[in-house]
Amino acid sequence: MSDTAVEAQRLEIGYRNGRDVTTVLSDVDLTVPQGEFLTILGPSGCGKSTLLRVVANLLDPLGGQITVLGNTPEAARRARKTGFVFQDATLLPWRTVGQNIRLPAVVGGRQARALPDTRIAEVMALLGLSGLEDRYPSQLSGGQRQRVAIARALIDEPEILLMDEPFGALDEITRDRLNDELLSIWRETGMTILFVTHSIEEAVYLGQRVIVMAANPGRILNIHDLRPVKSDDNHCQRDNAAIVSEIAAQRQLLAEAS
Amino acid sequence: MTRLSNILAPICGALSILLAWQFLLPLSGVPAYIAPTPTKIIAVFFNQTDLILSNFLPTAIEALAGFFIGNLAAVLFAILFAYARFIRMAYFPVVLFFNTIPILALSPIIILIFGLGMTPKIIIAAIICFFPTLVNMIRGLASASQNEEELFRMLSANKFEIFLRLHLPRSLPMLFSSLRIATATAVIGAIVGEWIGADKGLGALIIQATFNYQSDKLYAAIVASSSLSIAMFALVALVEARVMRGWAR
Repeated sequence: MSDTAVEAQRLEIGYRNGRDVTTVLSDVDLTVPQGEFLTILGPSGCGKSTLLRVVANLLDPLGGQITVLGNTPEAARRARKTGFVFQDATLLPWRTVGQNIRLPAVVGGRQARALPDTRIAEVMALLGLSGLEDRYPSQLSGGQRQRVAIARALIDEPEILLMDEPFGALDEITRDRLNDELLSIWRETGMTILFVTHSIEEAVYLGQRVIVMAANPGRILNIHDLRPVKSDDNHCQRDNAAIVSEIAAQRQLLAEAS
Repeated sequence: MTRLSNILAPICGALSILLAWQFLLPLSGVPAYIAPTPTKIIAVFFNQTDLILSNFLPTAIEALAGFFIGNLAAVLFAILFAYARFIRMAYFPVVLFFNTIPILALSPIIILIFGLGMTPKIIIAAIICFFPTLVNMIRGLASASQNEEELFRMLSANKFEIFLRLHLPRSLPMLFSSLRIATATAVIGAIVGEWIGADKGLGALIIQATFNYQSDKLYAAIVASSSLSIAMFALVALVEARVMRGWAR
């Protein structure tokens, strides 16, 4: 059992199209310990979603080394140790809320295993979805759809949750509430979360560490450790003076970089 | 109020046209062998019910059989073309070329091969349904979003699971839109087949009535064939509403 959730060394990330190679990110060194809440912050086109897709094994790296929970990203994906939440929720419109959450139990060959109804009820209660099981996605609000997507990712109890701007399309009030709920789920489960966002406030509010990325060319500018300014008690306090000044520093850094 | 007017408005529209047709046509001096009044057409359905029914049934059987065979074949070929790349590359251009042959040019050949019974009409109706559904179904099977494909990859779904749980349901909106169109084209196919060689069916009745200047029978046959299309369309819409309940529109 490895204590490291994700370890990357000299990672090259990009797209291969025949002989054409487009490098999006190069020379990425990153160590994410288990149980960390890591946010990845950057403007459009900096490669933050691409980095997440490599960890998820949705994209193979061009070069370098990456391990997920001490194994290859593919082994972690096949063992359902990584869960992914997309920006647009990606619920199947022909399946009800309950059927969408059960999807991991009906596909995946050997990985698909019957889930007890108690597990479904537990996850739905955790996400505040109780009573919505028979609704269709078209009958839900944007926030509810994203809750269903998170419930579907959590149903298999992954050790690492990969989230690609999951609240990017939501209004601010809904987003703030889901941020708080996500933090309490993180504390309750103790899993590792890699959370991609383009919002500085969100990145700093959620993350224990914030990776700041820049575009053209995509690169990691800096990794900020916020743990010294966040005690366990003030983690949820948006008006904490130290956190607010940290946000201002991030803004400055990004402005200088671009 | 709005729901009531939604229903009443088209009824009022149709009624006003029928009334104008009924009362203005005799004043215009158009002879009855060219255009009968609506009451004359309705009278055919009451006075010659046997004639209409005995011609309606063969056309209905041909159109329905052609509809099912043509669309079923289209769905199966679409699945083959969507997942067997080499077969698609080899045969899809042939299929497209075949589609450029006008159905009216093809029909005499089919009648020559299969004779004057119902079979050639069913084949013509099936062919005319086949192409739009084939093309729509191929597009429908490929219409899942990148995120949806990635979701199934995350879950390590195998090819059959991806087909059954993602591509097939995703193709349904496009399949149903082409099935709705096929309800009308299947009837056209059956009638075209009957024009070329048949002694029974609405197509045969249309030809006979035309040559004998029996405009009331001609118009009654047109109303009957249109009713057949409408009934098939309603059936498809009913199945679609049942299958796709809950989908976002």
